[in-house]
Amino acid sequence: MDNTIDKLPGFVDTIKSIQETIITNIVLMGQIPAPTFKEKRRTSVFMERLAEFQVDECTTDGYRNPIGIIKGTSESKPPIFVVAHLDTVFSKDIDHYYSIQENSIIGTGIIDNSLGVGVLVSLPEIFRKLGLRFESDIVLAGVIQSLGKGNLRGIRHLLKTWATPIRGAVCIEAAELGRLNYYADGMIRCEVDCNISPVDGWEHKFKPNAILVLNEVINQILKLRLPQKPRSRVIIGKISGGFKHGVIAYDATLGFEIQSNSDKMVKSIYNSIKDIIEGTSHEYEVDLKLKTLSNIHAARLKFDHPLVKSSVAVMKKLDLTPVSGPSESELSIFLSRKIPAVTLGITRGENYHQQNASVEIEPISKGIAQVIGVIMAIDSGVCDEHQLD
Amino acid sequence: MNISWIKKNTFHYSEFSDLTRLVDEKQRKNLKISLCLPTLNEEKTIAKEILIMKSELMTRYPILDEIVVVDSGSTDNTRKIARGYGADVYKAAEILPDLAKFKGKGENLWKALYVTQGDIIVYLDADIKNIHHRFAYGLLGPLILFDNIKYVKAFYDRPIAIGKSKIRPTGGGRVTELLIRPLFSLFFPELTQILQPLSGEYAGHREIFEKIPFPIGYGVETSMILDIYEKWGLDVFAQVDLDRRIHRNQDTRALGRMSFAILQTFIKRKIELGLVDYKEKLYNEMIQYNLIKNEFKPDIYKIEGHERPPIIEIPEYREKFKRIS
Repeated sequence: MDNTIDKLPGFVDTIKSIQETIITNIVLMGQIPAPTFKEKRRTSVFMERLAEFQVDECTTDGYRNPIGIIKGTSESKPPIFVVAHLDTVFSKDIDHYYSIQENSIIGTGIIDNSLGVGVLVSLPEIFRKLGLRFESDIVLAGVIQSLGKGNLRGIRHLLKTWATPIRGAVCIEAAELGRLNYYADGMIRCEVDCNISPVDGWEHKFKPNAILVLNEVINQILKLRLPQKPRSRVIIGKISGGFKHGVIAYDATLGFEIQSNSDKMVKSIYNSIKDIIEGTSHEYEVDLKLKTLSNIHAARLKFDHPLVKSSVAVMKKLDLTPVSGPSESELSIFLSRKIPAVTLGITRGENYHQQNASVEIEPISKGIAQVIGVIMAIDSGVCDEHQLD
Repeated sequence: MNISWIKKNTFHYSEFSDLTRLVDEKQRKNLKISLCLPTLNEEKTIAKEILIMKSELMTRYPILDEIVVVDSGSTDNTRKIARGYGADVYKAAEILPDLAKFKGKGENLWKALYVTQGDIIVYLDADIKNIHHRFAYGLLGPLILFDNIKYVKAFYDRPIAIGKSKIRPTGGGRVTELLIRPLFSLFFPELTQILQPLSGEYAGHREIFEKIPFPIGYGVETSMILDIYEKWGLDVFAQVDLDRRIHRNQDTRALGRMSFAILQTFIKRKIELGLVDYKEKLYNEMIQYNLIKNEFKPDIYKIEGHERPPIIEIPEYREKFKRIS
């Protein structure tokens, strides 16, 4: 592995030499709108690009996740997965056309996660340019239905139906370069809908207001005493409702996530919030519905797991400082199925979920070299003898 | 009217997506191909066009031999960005500097003939938001594969970008439908088969471009069609469906000025061809009115209608390309 790591700084320049093709892939993928559940067009272009780069097998699984397989030299080694989610949070009528500046790419969804997808489809060409062959098959998967209500369905289905063992996995996210995720918190993602019937008497001056009812729910959630250990939090992430300024809101929706490194704590907080919602519903005499959109279990690699140690070594060789935190993305599904995996970022970005999101071009080559370093580490066997707890 | 041309010479870009075949034919015929991007303040889109064309049609498939930007004097970073991404960048005013100086798209296209090397030249507007390499290979396909085709025009669906972030799914082509098509229908019905005569994307053989005059402004697309039609006939034309093109919306007043320039060119051609005889002088000012403080004030926009002669008549060009006038 040491010899391999020493090659990585040299890889950066080679990758830079085909930067135009990498950016072209990022732009061609990213300019196709792919809101969750409507990734079909992006899926087709993903497959077309992989086929153009002469990937051995291009197909979709039963759930329509597009997959490219680069055949390895060994017939006995299990495959290595490299994944990036295809979907974005932006609807298709939003302008997805990108602008390239001297050292940046600007556009809708580039950070979450169009740059990651563009890098994924560029990997076959990058491997060829670097003259790399692997023992394992490399499975390049652009997974659909990851975000929000998608609830990671694409990756769940892909792994559930994959017939053979999987050697290890790398999840690609556009940003931030330096992130090293190797654990996932337990999480429940919920929505509360508040509906007040407008029918029974517009003459009631003090009819309940759906927004104020949800405000009361938020206040009570904020009063919950959350432990520092196990580390736990509730994120109030989305709110919408109402009709116009001078009319009481009949409908409102609140979106939140409960996160903790203990599944038990997640469940306990969920039950507390459920009680809050039932109580509020009763006291205000309104219809409050709690829906669970997504539920994932806490899972982790230990810091001394060889994949984590190798990833840290790869990053340090490239003068990157690893920064770790929990990730609730595809990583959690790999880890929950006992498959060693990490999530890595490719470059630096700004305005993450806005239409003017931008990424820096210059660090991309280093970000990709890091991904390749970790794939090479997995191919050299760092995951082979260590089971997850 | 013979409408067989539209059936025979209309293509879809996907008919030319076998890029290996285009490369083989290009090499077999020993052709050089230049891509020219005329610019004026296009810093938002220029890098993307250069980068995608370079990656797909130079590095991966050697179809283009050069990418040349001819700039009208941008005040933003267009030239710097274009150079940074590897295009050959020229200021129009610095090409053939001894000639009188004009400013306009047609001027850039004409001067590009002097600085490019290609036997075939592809002209693409530099403001295409959804740029894709099909815009170039789609236009080049008929020119590379069919010896009788000398000039290819693009046509597409034309959604318009409105505001900062929304796309309106239909629209565009107003000047075509309200001005060009009625004019062609009246005077050259055969040419109505060209579905989008004003599209800014076209390609052709140098031997054609060097022998026709270029209006310096908006009239260049119309005059090109009329002159090529007059000299070589409709059979050297082809048109290719490039699917979708997202472009900036222009307000009606701007389209009015564009229409003026096109009409000016059209009438000039008619006079030169002896098809009409105007006794009186034509004016060269487009007059539009604004309501300012309850008073209508004219807004006068001078459109001179200058034209460059066929570049083969320029001695420096003949010298450089070893041509006889």
